[in-house]
Amino acid sequence: MASTIPTVAIPGQILGPATFYSAGPGTHISENNVYASIAGPVIVDPAQTKTQKKSTLRVARDLLDAKRAPVQKPRFNTLPAVDSIVLARVTRVQRRQATVAILAVLDDASFDPSQYTPDNEKFASALTVAPNPESHNNTDELRFQGLIRKEDVRAVEKDRVVMEEMFRVGDIVRGSVVSMGDQSFYYITTARNDLGVIMARSDVGNMMFPASWKEMRDPVTNVAEPRKVARPL
Amino acid sequence: MNDRRRVNGPAEGTRRPVFACHVDTASAPTRPQRQREPKAFRKIALETGLTRSASGSSYIEVQPSPPPASYNSLIPHSSSLKLACSVHGPKPLPRSAAFSPNLVLTTHVKYATFATRKRRAHVRDASERDLGVHLETALRGAIIADRWPKSGIDVTVTILEAEDDRWWADAPDSHDASWGMMNVLAGCITAASAALADAHIDCLDLVTGGMAALVSDDENPDAPPKLVLDVDPSEHRSIVAACVVGYMPGRDEITQLWLKGDSSNAVLEDGDKRTVHEALIDGAVTAAKSVHAVLAEVVRESILAAGQ
Repeated sequence: MASTIPTVAIPGQILGPATFYSAGPGTHISENNVYASIAGPVIVDPAQTKTQKKSTLRVARDLLDAKRAPVQKPRFNTLPAVDSIVLARVTRVQRRQATVAILAVLDDASFDPSQYTPDNEKFASALTVAPNPESHNNTDELRFQGLIRKEDVRAVEKDRVVMEEMFRVGDIVRGSVVSMGDQSFYYITTARNDLGVIMARSDVGNMMFPASWKEMRDPVTNVAEPRKVARPL
Repeated sequence: MNDRRRVNGPAEGTRRPVFACHVDTASAPTRPQRQREPKAFRKIALETGLTRSASGSSYIEVQPSPPPASYNSLIPHSSSLKLACSVHGPKPLPRSAAFSPNLVLTTHVKYATFATRKRRAHVRDASERDLGVHLETALRGAIIADRWPKSGIDVTVTILEAEDDRWWADAPDSHDASWGMMNVLAGCITAASAALADAHIDCLDLVTGGMAALVSDDENPDAPPKLVLDVDPSEHRSIVAACVVGYMPGRDEITQLWLKGDSSNAVLEDGDKRTVHEALIDGAVTAAKSVHAVLAEVVRESILAAGQ
């Protein structure tokens, strides 16, 4: 059967019978056949566990996606989902919550940001360019919005959290999505050691380095600022 | 809506100059004649991924029919379809919007002000909104919307050059309806489908637009009208009825259907048992199938180009 599967598929192209294959991301089933629903290279993931008998057919979004090993929980889109790790920029800090704009969704732990190019702009520039509060055409409104509630900031001493000492506007945060949230916000938590602020600028404007789990330090002025710091990878 | 912030040209256009060489009837331009077979198509140029800032984009162009050898007027002999489509998203819904578990599709179709022989307004008018609704219907049937919760996409089509509604030298009321819109819609559907594939939005199939029409070129009003595919309205004396479909060849499904004109009195050629509507729809579906061959090749090429 493997010889009849096309290497590259376009939407609506028949890939194989649904009795032999199960439909992975980028495909759909219609009338007992697996069809492609996006354009891209076709990948066959062989059946790996005892519970799963059929091989999975999927259509990759890009070359990076094509090389990725099959995962337990397949993703049918590029949107943030529950448990996905996201990189986000803090846009507003309030007493009970902080709003963030989601810059990128990291699919798994073996993620290399230097190889990652989101659809619209270079990922690196999104991280390093500080948002200009004067500019009205910033793209944060076009990104998916996230919300870090006060009780989701850290796992211990939740009632002593002061939001201003955890995040500042412009910080880049690594977080995990806890829920799809309401119509506009995804709910994000940083209550893990490897989650929290990963990049921040000091009051003076210098890029700071992490000094402890609750402190970042400016290398020039040597002034420490409080943050909920992520453990460096 | 009035457009008061710009200096617009005169609403009704100006009279074109009549040059002395055209006063004698011998050298006056004559109506172009269709040179192709009734089921032959004009060539299509289609390309994806030209707009870098959009998540998906496409550009489509139809080859204009060649001018006759004797043509020496400064007025362009014929118009041909040129349009650009871009897809933005999936992006978050606006803050005021309600929760949606599906992908929210919005379509905009806009003529450039210079797209037609009569200048178009900057503000979208009724016909452009109409085209937008038709395009949305055509795409909605093809998109798998439940793969993208809480997000929306914008499909924007800019028509750079539109098909003529009638031959430019005809009297204004000799062709009553805006037949050019039919070709424009077919092009919009095909271009939007290519842009959606470029943006990696899940679709059931590549939906394509096809157009067919019943035309009567005969001087004798009793002669039966002919069914032709991919019609350039300027090449025919009158169009009886026309049909556009959005069609998914892999599933043999029509997502959008638009019939226009009065075909109640029309009679098909002898031996044709179909009704006029069936014949028109069959013709448009045949046209859509042919366009699909081009579209599929373009999408496949774009994947291979991305892989290098």
